[in-house]
Amino acid sequence: MRQGLARYIIRRGLQSLFLVWIATLIGFTIYQLAPGGPLQFLDDDPKRTAADFNRLSALYGLDRPILVQYLVWLTGEDWLVLLPGGTAWQSGQCRNNAERCGRGILRFDFGRSFYFKGSNVIDLIVERIPATFILGFSSLVISVAVGIPSGIYAALNRGRLPDHIIRVTTVLVNTVPEWWIGLLLLIILGGYLRIVPLGGMETIGDGSLPDRLHHLALPAVVSAISGWISISRIMRFEMLEVLNQDYVRTARAKGLPEHLVILRHVLRNAILPFVTGLSGIFLLFLSGSILFELVFSWPGMGRLAVIAINSRDYPVMMGLFVISSFLGIMGVLMVDILYSFVDPRVKYEL
Amino acid sequence: MDAQAIRRTSIPRIRGIREQTYWQAVLAKLIRDKLTLAAMFGLAVIVTLSVAAAWISDQVLGFDPTSTNLINRNAPPTWAATAWPIFQEFTQTCQEGGVSTCRWSLWGRILSASWAGLRECLAAPRGTCHWMGTDQAGRDVLSRGLYGGRISLRIGLYVASISMTLGVVLGLISGYYAATFIDDIINAVIQTLGSIPLLFLLIILSRIFQPGPEGLSFLIGIFGWMGVSRLIRGQIFSIREREYILASRAIGASIWRIMFRHILPNVSSIVIVVGVFNVAGAIIAEAGLSYLGVGIGPPLPSWGNMMQGSLGNFTDAPWLVLAPGLFIFLTTLSIYLIGDGLRDALDPWVK
Repeated sequence: MRQGLARYIIRRGLQSLFLVWIATLIGFTIYQLAPGGPLQFLDDDPKRTAADFNRLSALYGLDRPILVQYLVWLTGEDWLVLLPGGTAWQSGQCRNNAERCGRGILRFDFGRSFYFKGSNVIDLIVERIPATFILGFSSLVISVAVGIPSGIYAALNRGRLPDHIIRVTTVLVNTVPEWWIGLLLLIILGGYLRIVPLGGMETIGDGSLPDRLHHLALPAVVSAISGWISISRIMRFEMLEVLNQDYVRTARAKGLPEHLVILRHVLRNAILPFVTGLSGIFLLFLSGSILFELVFSWPGMGRLAVIAINSRDYPVMMGLFVISSFLGIMGVLMVDILYSFVDPRVKYEL
Repeated sequence: MDAQAIRRTSIPRIRGIREQTYWQAVLAKLIRDKLTLAAMFGLAVIVTLSVAAAWISDQVLGFDPTSTNLINRNAPPTWAATAWPIFQEFTQTCQEGGVSTCRWSLWGRILSASWAGLRECLAAPRGTCHWMGTDQAGRDVLSRGLYGGRISLRIGLYVASISMTLGVVLGLISGYYAATFIDDIINAVIQTLGSIPLLFLLIILSRIFQPGPEGLSFLIGIFGWMGVSRLIRGQIFSIREREYILASRAIGASIWRIMFRHILPNVSSIVIVVGVFNVAGAIIAEAGLSYLGVGIGPPLPSWGNMMQGSLGNFTDAPWLVLAPGLFIFLTTLSIYLIGDGLRDALDPWVK
């Protein structure tokens, strides 16, 4: 049994590595897809000359063959000098700022940003990861804390008023973009009533905990809505499944009090599938956060993504894409492994 | 005896029982469902308004959706012109000390001023009343909303047809060839697409290509088929072992015939329901992309990019957020209710 588990973990790990590799391929393709090349934004400047263009594309290594570019992006260029036989793409030394070689994304070097001139992409991203995680984690906590009880409550009161209220709420919330709800609440609570701040993570010059919580409250609640709804739905469905099982009838028949039946027999079995539902939520960290971070001026990875996209800052886009894919894939892997520990019935095959 | 003759003779008609085909039963159940009918009516109204947007803007409202008027920027709805300053005064009283200092008595004046304004607006000649205010370039929000409906509904339809086609075909194939090489490939693609941040990729791609409505639908569509495919695949698992599939295979029916004539009709109800929900999802996705500024770009109005103009001044001009959101809400709500009703109706013999 334990051996099977180890094999399963190794297999899932290798699979995830493969997915990460695919993500780097997709990320690199972004760079190549840009019409007119990634440096096309230089055309916006009327003073640009062909010499500037050539100088910059040599600086960023864009004059090399595509495969070499990918290899350099992945593994860095400092080792290229070691290769024997001078070919056209082999510069013999690092082109990108002689004192600092590109080290490749495998060594966490994502190159330099176009827009934030001279900044390392990885620094820009790492700076913003905490903000995104704070928002993502608190919205996860809120959606679990609200979603599980509301799902249980709806299941236990199936077909009665509370169930209907919860169902109508889910439909209503599903029919508008969640960021629009955030915008609306921001106008009313932030703009008109001044109960919550209009955006940002903290008042400048005041980084105290109450101030931070004050800024966090509305964004966390609003971005928790979609998670709350899906968790509550899964929970309701699973509860209803389990409530029909024979062992629940047996538990009731032997005279167990209802709350013990629910706690010991129903809940413990209904909560298992919910763990798999968690995996999708990791992916929302970046994808979902883009719109929320824009609405709430939240200084996280999503905001950086908006800036990068609007200024055609391809190195930052690629870095964000690869890092968030990596985080998402690792999140799914962690949940899968966690699940195989929690549920002994899981089959270690794929 | 030919097949027709067999059918005529071998099924005796039972007196007193009205025979119903499947679709007759569906229709009968649908007609009894008042909520779904209301939603269908609502959607029909929205579609009609969008289709007739040019005529309505020109003949009823008297505003062109693209003509700018820089001295009339961010103007409140004309009927609320007198009520809006009172409302702002009210919000100012609230800001002094939180909700406790709000002067709720101002609402009497707000409501009476709006009422007077509404009556005035109804009587006003064409081209003088902005029912939903003006945007940051002084354009009429209502007529832009009507035109925006054309774009949003079109994208909803396009995306649903693209993602449903892809999802159904790939789902059929992977379900029919389950546990073979083809199935593995399709599953690998689904798993890959499921583990990368798709919205981010979508945003990057639409920034790079700056597509029109058709191109944008294509982009949203090719990232939206995975759920459908999974669903169909699961359904086919149970269907392909049935006797009638075995029978048609035995008489030498081709794989395509089995898939599209025998299996597909059995999952058609699911396909229809999921497709309807897909339309709503696409409208919401388009709104998000356009709000970010990477979807449909101005001067073409869409419900998402109408809100983009509110980015800097949404507390001063909340109608820029409210009006497009209301359009989205009404449209997706009716689509949702129709989907819900269809789900029940397409299972007509279940009580």
